[in-house]
Amino acid sequence: MAYQRKQNKGESPKLDMTPMIDVVFQLLIFFVVTLKQEDILSKLSAARPAPSNDERIKENPPELINVLVAPQGFVFNGRLMRLPELDRCIERLSGYSTSAMVVIKCTADSPHSFLIQVLDVCNKYKMTNLSIFSI
Amino acid sequence: MIDVVFHLIIFFVVTLKMTTDANPDIVLEDGKHGVTLTQDNMPPSTLEIELDRRGRISIHNATLSPDMLTMIIKQRIARHNSNEFPVHIKADRRSQHDQVKRVMDICTAAGIWKLSFVAVQEHKSQKSDSE
Repeated sequence: MAYQRKQNKGESPKLDMTPMIDVVFQLLIFFVVTLKQEDILSKLSAARPAPSNDERIKENPPELINVLVAPQGFVFNGRLMRLPELDRCIERLSGYSTSAMVVIKCTADSPHSFLIQVLDVCNKYKMTNLSIFSI
Repeated sequence: MIDVVFHLIIFFVVTLKMTTDANPDIVLEDGKHGVTLTQDNMPPSTLEIELDRRGRISIHNATLSPDMLTMIIKQRIARHNSNEFPVHIKADRRSQHDQVKRVMDICTAAGIWKLSFVAVQEHKSQKSDSE
């Protein structure tokens, strides 16, 4: 007894940190590896043709911009075009008025990505009066 | 050093979202010019409808039949007493328009005219190369 008391006097018990650091590093590596950053999303708003709007349209007919979305591309003013061309056309039209209604007509077999591209171009030039028709 | 390491671990535990309830198969089209979706402009009443490339309709990755979706939208309109809550359609870029039209028609039939499509503004994760 006397011997033990002499041994402990003045010494704090030592804690071995090595295994803890090992575990903590393992956890750290696990979290770094499993961490996956998420994409930043955006929303593109549009309206479907509503019957309640009809009266307003009759009273004050707005300018209409028709864009047809087909599987081969976009048809604007009767001309088939790709996205950069459509971008230029919309840019030119947005110079006159951004409140004009853009009517986007989609064929049933057109890919959804084309519709998103048209909506994105319209949003780019602040054309916010968008309406989607399905044909 | 241990203090710093513990801080890092706590940071990662807090920021890590282990499971996502979104459908992982959906590849969204780029839409750089849309309105950025943040926690602030996405109120809890937002209805997010997912549509994968095969035309499967889901909410939080739970598959729904068109009738069930109609019921959910109608219940929501009744609960909020208006059809003004935001409806986001998260459709795969490879899906056909007639599949998207089905979802839009369900919304329109239930009385919702204003719809938003979700697109990717900025890619943070590795872009999927499955076209």
